[in-house]
Amino acid sequence: MKTMALLVVPACLLVLALLVGPMILMFRISLNQFSPTQLMVQAFTPDNYIKAATDPYYQQIIVSTLGIALFCTLLTLVLAFPAAYWLGRIESRWKSLAVIATLFPLLVGNVVRSAGWMALFSRGGLINVTLLKLGIISEPLEIMYTPKAVIIGIIAVVLPYMILTIASVIESIPRDLEDAAANLGASGLRVFWRVILPLSAPGVAAGSILVFVLCMNTYATAVLLGGPKFKMMAPAVYDQFVRGNNWPMGATLAFMLLAVTMAFTVFGSVAFARRYRTA
Amino acid sequence: MMFRLTEQPSVGRVLMRTLIALAYLIIFAPVVMIVVTSFFAQELISFPPPALSLAWYANAWAKPEFLRGLLTSFQVALLAAAIGVPIGTAAALAIVRGEFPGRQTLSSFLLAPLAVPGVVAGSGLYMLYVLAEDFFDRDIKATTEGLVAAHTLLAIPWTVRLVVASLQGLDRRAEEAAANLGASPFTVFRRITLPMMRPGVVAAAMFSFIQSFENLDLSMLLVGPGRITLPVAMLNYLEFRIDPTLAAVATVQITLVGLLMVVTDRFVKLSRVV
Repeated sequence: MKTMALLVVPACLLVLALLVGPMILMFRISLNQFSPTQLMVQAFTPDNYIKAATDPYYQQIIVSTLGIALFCTLLTLVLAFPAAYWLGRIESRWKSLAVIATLFPLLVGNVVRSAGWMALFSRGGLINVTLLKLGIISEPLEIMYTPKAVIIGIIAVVLPYMILTIASVIESIPRDLEDAAANLGASGLRVFWRVILPLSAPGVAAGSILVFVLCMNTYATAVLLGGPKFKMMAPAVYDQFVRGNNWPMGATLAFMLLAVTMAFTVFGSVAFARRYRTA
Repeated sequence: MMFRLTEQPSVGRVLMRTLIALAYLIIFAPVVMIVVTSFFAQELISFPPPALSLAWYANAWAKPEFLRGLLTSFQVALLAAAIGVPIGTAAALAIVRGEFPGRQTLSSFLLAPLAVPGVVAGSGLYMLYVLAEDFFDRDIKATTEGLVAAHTLLAIPWTVRLVVASLQGLDRRAEEAAANLGASPFTVFRRITLPMMRPGVVAAAMFSFIQSFENLDLSMLLVGPGRITLPVAMLNYLEFRIDPTLAAVATVQITLVGLLMVVTDRFVKLSRVV
């Protein structure tokens, strides 16, 4: 069956040419220097990395990206867990429908969902109109182009990932364990705290890592709901290439984003042997 | 039976149901909202709408950026799936059925494109394309070929993951029986293995197509005048305004994705493959 091995060659060549090659090229370019007149000067210097770590402009982008990612991950976890428990425990024909319903918004794309939030958040949008009609507020709230809008938008994007990841673990926890604890007199809260939560820890961890990485790499949601002044890493990378024409800095920021993403992903897959990176 | 954790009415049960409702509200609100908005008669979105209209669905395709974007995205997604799914399926077959060392590593390697952020992979390809354009003296960025090449990076890992999963669940005895009854290896593959792989391959084709069709992060640095994918066209438009025209375009995309999911679900239970 030596010939079987040949079947992986085309896929490997494509990944090498279109992913590994460009990543090596990117790392090399991140060591070059930027010059406003010549654009890129061949060099071999860590200057761009030092600048990204020390310049307040980049520092602020990095800190706000990590902060938003962490905050969104925690909030998503709290929101997703009950839904994941529910999804993991359905045993009727509705199960398939519920999974598809969770998956569907994930597949319609981030641009479309950001557009939906724009219609909800704007001054004449549904949220403001409803609150005004109910007399809760007298002036329209400014939700668009604030961190609040971005955070809600990101949570909507990553919730399905967290729900599906945790639900797949909860499915595998035998119900008998919950029943046994309840029969022995544990309250609902105690069953949750002492049985369900510890047993679903691998799913919680895997889901949190996946979601954190996705939050960090947010592009469309940050650009559309945060506006031009709101800066996160992925839009900053794009700006370096398109507006600044600064390849070395763009490559540096992109490489940092890649390094953090890979570190979390590899840590996650090493720490939890099962592959949880579900759709 | 669904809420064994909280069978007695309690604060916990109420809290749990509230959180479930809130989670799904947040997931669905933007999708439902954009569909609703596409029927508003007024160009400036405001609630409640004074009247309803279907005019935006015609108006949307009068705008060249959306029509061309839709056609480009469709073409790129179709080609990327047509190239990536067979290549990925072949790799998956070798990983599950081959007997050579390092198959686990190979599998991780082929799944790696999923772990690399789209903006990062797109930046790398952008630089590669621009440098290669100078070298070969021909356009690569903002061509269909360039976009399709990039999008095979989406199709291959999805195909490897879904087809490997479906092959691992196969009962090999049917193949052994066919071989014992005198079928050649090729006949066994064509008559037994291939039909049994079908659900995995169909799911792979759907995911590859959709991932490509809705992709923004990987594509946005690789598009250019005349070759703009639909998500990039929508993003550019949304940076200036949100109106029912855009909502109509978005609704068409939502409908297309929904239809694909329903069709695929008839071949393969989506709740089992993800």
